[in-house]
Amino acid sequence: MEILRGINFAVPRGQFIAIMGPSGSGKSTLLGLLAGLDTPTAGSIVLDGQEIAGLAEDSLALIRGRKIGFVFQSYQLIPTLTAIENVLLPHELAGEANGLARAMELLENVGLSERRDHYPIQLSGGEQQRVALARAFMVRPPILMADEPTGNLDSANGEHVLELLLSMNRREGTTLVLVTHDATLAAHADRILRLKDGVIVGDELRA
Amino acid sequence: MPDRFSLSTARKIAWREARASSTRFLFVILAVSLGVGALTGVRGFSQSFRGMLMRDARQLMAADMTVRAFALPTPTQESVLEKLARSGVDQTQVTETVSMLSIPSQSTPVLVSVKAVDPAVYPFYGALKLNPPLTLRQALQADAVAVSGDLLVRLDIKTGDTVKLGEANFRIAAVVTAEPDRMAGSLNVGPRILMSRAGLDRTGLITLGSRAAQRVLFRFEPNSIPVSRARAELKEAFPDAQIIDYRETHPLITRGLDRATTFLSLVSLIALIVGALGVAMAMHSHLQQKMDIIAVMKSIGARSGQIMTIYTLQTLMLGLLGGAAGIIVGLAVQRAFPPLIARYFQIDPGLHWDPGSALQGLATGVLTTLLFTLPPLLSIRAIRPSIILRREMEDARPHWRDRLKNGRTGAIAGAVIIAGILAIGWWLSESLRVGLYFAGGFLASILMLAAIATGILALLRRAARWSRQALPAAIRHGLANIYRPGNQASALLVALGLGVMFTLTVYLVQKSMLVQIANSAPPGMPNVFLINITSLERDGIAGMLHHQKGIQGPAEVIPIVSARMLRIDGAAVQDLPLKGFSRRFRQSRSVTWSDSLNSQTVVTEGKFWGPKDTAQSAGVQLCVGEDVAKILSVKPGTRIDWIAGGRTFTAQVSCVYRSEAVRIGSNLEFLFIPGALDGIPTLHFAAIRMQPALVAQLQRDVFRRFPTVTVINGADVLAIIQDVVDQIALVVRFISFFAILAGAIILASSVAGTRFRRVREVVILKTLGATRRRIAGIFSVEFLLLGAVAGILGSLLATGFSLLLLKRLFQVDYRFEPWPHLVAILLTAILANIAGWLASYRILQQKPMEALRNSL
Ligand SMILES: Nc1ncnc2c1ncn2[C@@H]1O[C@H](COP(=O)(O)OP(=O)(O)O)[C@@H](O)[C@H]1O
Ligand SMILES: [Mg+2]
Repeated sequence: MEILRGINFAVPRGQFIAIMGPSGSGKSTLLGLLAGLDTPTAGSIVLDGQEIAGLAEDSLALIRGRKIGFVFQSYQLIPTLTAIENVLLPHELAGEANGLARAMELLENVGLSERRDHYPIQLSGGEQQRVALARAFMVRPPILMADEPTGNLDSANGEHVLELLLSMNRREGTTLVLVTHDATLAAHADRILRLKDGVIVGDELRA
Repeated sequence: MPDRFSLSTARKIAWREARASSTRFLFVILAVSLGVGALTGVRGFSQSFRGMLMRDARQLMAADMTVRAFALPTPTQESVLEKLARSGVDQTQVTETVSMLSIPSQSTPVLVSVKAVDPAVYPFYGALKLNPPLTLRQALQADAVAVSGDLLVRLDIKTGDTVKLGEANFRIAAVVTAEPDRMAGSLNVGPRILMSRAGLDRTGLITLGSRAAQRVLFRFEPNSIPVSRARAELKEAFPDAQIIDYRETHPLITRGLDRATTFLSLVSLIALIVGALGVAMAMHSHLQQKMDIIAVMKSIGARSGQIMTIYTLQTLMLGLLGGAAGIIVGLAVQRAFPPLIARYFQIDPGLHWDPGSALQGLATGVLTTLLFTLPPLLSIRAIRPSIILRREMEDARPHWRDRLKNGRTGAIAGAVIIAGILAIGWWLSESLRVGLYFAGGFLASILMLAAIATGILALLRRAARWSRQALPAAIRHGLANIYRPGNQASALLVALGLGVMFTLTVYLVQKSMLVQIANSAPPGMPNVFLINITSLERDGIAGMLHHQKGIQGPAEVIPIVSARMLRIDGAAVQDLPLKGFSRRFRQSRSVTWSDSLNSQTVVTEGKFWGPKDTAQSAGVQLCVGEDVAKILSVKPGTRIDWIAGGRTFTAQVSCVYRSEAVRIGSNLEFLFIPGALDGIPTLHFAAIRMQPALVAQLQRDVFRRFPTVTVINGADVLAIIQDVVDQIALVVRFISFFAILAGAIILASSVAGTRFRRVREVVILKTLGATRRRIAGIFSVEFLLLGAVAGILGSLLATGFSLLLLKRLFQVDYRFEPWPHLVAILLTAILANIAGWLASYRILQQKPMEALRNSL
């Protein structure tokens, strides 16, 4: 079964691009391919100058670890690790030491420095997503990918998370790929790519 | 929900739900099957063995009936035997003793078990096989013997060579490959020498009073007198003898078998309990996951009892499936026994499936499983329908009234479990006392294991916090995973720790006992024994020992006479209410005489005779040991009637003594005044202490001048004991290993139960840039740590138990050695890792793409 067809686009460094489309249109699939979570059956994907289509799983993992930060709809924190440990995780997986100061700083940025030793189960949905946000920026990735980051949150929490996401993104100068079906979210983007049934039906650059 | 909640509905729901957790449940079924398998295997083997003893009773003693005594028949006894022969009862005599054998090339003589038979009639039943395939009559000429294969290996000789036994030379005519009544015999130390009675006469080994075992074998002709009547007559004529007929199993073998069966059954029960613990854990987390569904069912009107029916049925199903699989495992266990014990019993009772044992195993499996699942089943009552509405409150502390109520329910469940274990232990061992000890020991170990497990887990958690940055990330992450919800770490540690504790305790006790035996010759204790010294040889031996090099301390030669008590102050000894080991006083005892007490012996009551006193000058007197005085209520002045060497006489007790040192020779319980035992057949023995390196020289020298004297080297006896202890320990370890294995499988089941969480974690880690190797490392740390902690736990408790057992039961010191503990901890860790990964099958292949799917 073909999920995506004839997709062809490039995202310049530092751009904030929103991918929109109805449920089932292939947004998540596209994001997964861009991030190297999955490999395409055909075609080519160049990430930060490097061809990643067809790379072995573990090489992809190493590239992801260094270049991409993730925010998911369902937070995806590790339940056995505390907030601060979750934030530190990408840093440690990259085999680096002494990340504690930065992790603390990030937790402070998302307003959770008090909750550093709490486990995910002890945090509300909004708080968990904020921890996930801090985690995404931990290794200063050049690219941030977010899949419906506010999808599971009520509007107040959703807005708070979005504000944090945008402000941190500005500060770090990260390329941001945001998948959403929410127009108010997409309104913040530099560019909107519209998908329908696996094909691009619109690509609009905004002022 | 229908108004009437039928059992078949419950069964359907139970089955449907069990299938959903099938991997986890498969593991616990396997764990239960191991416990049941060990149990049915042990009991099945025991039953087959007993069946074989009964079925082949005639072959196993080579006769319809045997009488065994440690003296040659007296004239009265001869006449009873002759009378039986006239009424159609065939009989033949077998003599067994130990002696020294050597080959002409001057090697050190070897201790052998000699058995003399009449080759024309022996054996009445069963077949004695020789290689080359001669008949016994062809092989056992007066100048020839047949020997067991180990003698040829030991002396590097072959069939046709000449050996010297006692005072005569013999040609080895054949090798004995099968001997029907080997198990029924006595004095089986060292290689077997089979010879004719004429051959035995040539050796000069048997003299009046020799403590050789004499066995008379009987075969009843079809029209001879009834076995029971013959038995009664023989009992009358041979009061000291052990009489066995084909209608019963050999009492010594059966007693040993019974004890071993009881012990191994209880060891198996531990494995079974570990399995049951696994079922309880699986049930607990199963219910935890089903909490919402149960709450929903309750809110639409299902009663707790109905829901409990569903999960009780599920438990029952798991117990039954585990039990049924266990019966098959049991057959394999049963099959493994003959090779395990092959060194001592060259027999194979065959694989007879014993339905009784299988049923017992199945029942025990189901009962134990139900018992341990009681707490999670009872907790169903506590689930309130309202929990669906207040999920967030989950980790809030329950109200004190609820906690008190839960505590009470828990205490009741605990009491029922312990009572159940007591009952099962009682049932399996057929002894309330053993059941009580088992249940008590179990309760104590489980409480301690749980307490220490909780302690270690808390400590690890704190350590992980502290060392936040010091530890490598993978280790910290793996450590954190131990506390994964649903992991049930402390229960796991208890289950696995129980198995480790038991196996290691067996090992430690075995080792300490062997070390103790090896060191049990502290300076002054004899390590070489000379037995079978006749009165004629006495002075020669004494003189020789006096001049022998390497002997340390005195070399006393002590006379031994076999004598039996008839009456104490007129009361017949046969009628005294004696129990257990005290019954020995009804039989012939070894007694001695002396004109003085050795330095380690003190008189506690009465007065010892003077150095010049004899029976003729001062009257027939004796002194008795403290134990004798206590058991038989004997004190100075008591008159005891004796029979020895066909002569009856009366002696008066003049003193009671206590031996300060455990010394061979001072453990004799009756000491007569010189002259009291004159004219009664006497043998002498000597117990000496000498440099181990010079024992061989002594053996050679004694054999050259006194070939009928047997020199026993303590080191050889030690080797035999060590062999026996090793063999027993091997069997016990084999069975107790099932408990460890069950523990590891429980770990696998728990890992399978958390599979969903693990899959999710693998996916997240992969998206965050973790390679498969990295993730494998994190999980391995978790499994290895769990195993290592369980190993440490088991090893701690094993140390405590060994200490207690050795001190209390065996009066042996425990010496701590780190190696067994380190090995146990390492092996448990590796086993846990293997089990963990078995249950994590294909987990690493998870696609990271799943993180974007909302199914997670
Ligand atoms: N594992 C899968 N295998 C096959 N098809 C899939 C799989 N996951 C998603 N799909 C299909 O791919 C299409 C796109 O899904 P997805 O990318 O999740 O859409 P969106 O994120 O826009 O809602 C859908 O039709 C969905 O049914
Ligand atoms: Mg999607």
